[in-house]
Amino acid sequence: MYEKLIKIYPELATFNFASGAITLQNDGAGDYIAKWEHPTLAKPTAEQLV
Amino acid sequence: MASIINASTTSGVVITGDTSGNLSLQTQAGANTITVPNTSGTMMVSGNMPAFSVYSNAQQTVNNGTFTKLSLQVKEFDTSSSFDNSTNYRFTPTVAGYYQINGAGQIATASQGLLVSIYKNGSEYKRGIWFGNVASIGNQSIVSTIVYLNGSTDYIELYMYQASGSNYLTNYGSNSTYLNGTLVRAA
Repeated sequence: MYEKLIKIYPELATFNFASGAITLQNDGAGDYIAKWEHPTLAKPTAEQLV
Repeated sequence: MASIINASTTSGVVITGDTSGNLSLQTQAGANTITVPNTSGTMMVSGNMPAFSVYSNAQQTVNNGTFTKLSLQVKEFDTSSSFDNSTNYRFTPTVAGYYQINGAGQIATASQGLLVSIYKNGSEYKRGIWFGNVASIGNQSIVSTIVYLNGSTDYIELYMYQASGSNYLTNYGSNSTYLNGTLVRAA
């Protein structure tokens, strides 16, 4: 998931994913976006993340 | 007039409650202290007071930038059988109250941006020590907190986060990646 996001938004390469604005999570069934509250970037669509 | 209960030399002290199942010790008004036992005694607290300790027995991948639930397969003890160590790796006690919870997670590769976090009901509750700029093999973050659990649906889990730029493996074992806790105050 992280690599997919960086491909869509290269500027996130320096983003602190522990800040709470964007949370990637894995509960045991694969990575997913648990929270997206980035001030300027829109949450990627499912199509973008394929 | 004070009441005195004398112990039998053969049966000790026996106090039988009524059908409510309650047994109360009440102080005189204005003197709200009951000390049990005396300063040299020992008090046993037993019964349904959940306590558990679990740890991981295998390495686990924690993807870069991702809060990953840690699999904790081995029980050292679980007095109330409240920890699921095979499917969801979570503690769901059946007694409502305030629980002291401690967790740790160790990474096997030189890494930075490492932390472990207690999750309550699927959301982050409290974070542990954050290794922001220290890249070292065997970094271990620890977390400790007190959390209220309702004794029915509330549960806690242990997650790890690392942001070293690559996907890394955890270390495992009873002294590396673990979670334990106990009830400290009933609701």
